[in-house]
Amino acid sequence: MSQPDLRPLPGTQGIDPRGPRFSAGITAVLLAVDIVLGLVGLQLAAWILLVVIAVLFLWGAVAGVQRHPYGALYRAALRPRLAPPAELEDPAPPTFAQLVGLIITGLGVVLGIWFPVIVVVAAALAFVAAFLNSVFGYCLGCQIYLLLVRAGLIRRGTGAAA
Amino acid sequence: MSPLAAVLAVVGLVAVTTVVGLVWKARTGRVTTRGRDDAEIVTPADVGADGSFGEKATLLQFSTEFCAYCPATRRLLGGLADRTEGVEHVDVDLTHSPELAQRFNVLQTPTTLLLDGRGAVRARIGGAPRPAELEASLAEILNTPGDDRVAA
Repeated sequence: MSQPDLRPLPGTQGIDPRGPRFSAGITAVLLAVDIVLGLVGLQLAAWILLVVIAVLFLWGAVAGVQRHPYGALYRAALRPRLAPPAELEDPAPPTFAQLVGLIITGLGVVLGIWFPVIVVVAAALAFVAAFLNSVFGYCLGCQIYLLLVRAGLIRRGTGAAA
Repeated sequence: MSPLAAVLAVVGLVAVTTVVGLVWKARTGRVTTRGRDDAEIVTPADVGADGSFGEKATLLQFSTEFCAYCPATRRLLGGLADRTEGVEHVDVDLTHSPELAQRFNVLQTPTTLLLDGRGAVRARIGGAPRPAELEASLAEILNTPGDDRVAA
C-alpha cells in the first residue's frame, strides 16, 4: 500500500498523524500490563489501572487528541527527533477512537466493580484496537463508525453515543 | 493464574492481533470487480450529488467525518479524475445519511465504487485505494464501456 497522504479538512488544525499512533502504543502497553495484573489475580490493581486508562481516554475524547498528555509527550520527546510529517491529519478520527476507548474501558470499570473478569475482557478488547491502530495504522473511525450508526448505537448527525 | 501463564496469554493475544492486522493490511484497498451486465445502475440523484457523473466513468467515494484515510483518498481520486478525460470524482459524506450506507452496503470508509458511463457499478474498493490497482481498474472500465460497443 502506498504511504497514505493525510491532510486535515479545510478550517481545522492538522496534527502529526504519528502522534496518535505513538499514543496508542503507550495505551496498548498499559492495557497489556492491566491484562496481566487481572489474570494473576491482582484484581484491585487491575481495576485501578483500568480507571487510569479510562480517564486518559476521557481526556482525549473531551479535550481532543491535540490536548492529550501523550500528544504533548510526543511533541516534546519524539517529534523533534523525527523528520517533519509528510502530511497533517484531521484530529476528528483519532478523537472518535478515544471515545470508543472510553466506552469500552468505562464499561469495564463499572461492571468490573461486580465482575472482576470484565476488567480483563474490556482491557483485552481495548488492547486489540490500540495495538492495531499503533502498529498497522488501523483507523477505528473508518471501520466502525458506520457499523455503529447502522446498528442504531449512534444517533445520526450528533456523533454522540445514544 | 501463574505470572508465566498470564504473560503467555498476553503474548498469545499479541500474536492473534498481529494476524488480524496483517490480514486487514493485505485486504484493504483491493479492487473487487463486478460483471458489466448484471451491475446495479447508480444516478447522481441516488446519492444526493449536486454535480453530474462522468461521461465515461465516475469514481464514487463514500466518506465520513471520522475517517482518517478519506481526505487522502479524496485527493487521489480527484487527481485521477482531473487528468482523465470523461471521468468525474464524486465524494458523498455518509455521516448524516445512514440510509445511503444501508443501500450501498457500506461498512467502512472510504469505500469507492467505480461506475462506467451508464452509472453501472463495475468495481468496488473498501479502504484507501491502491493507486496502481485503481488505475488498472479504471482503464479496464474505459476500455469496455458497458454498452454494445466491444472493446478492442
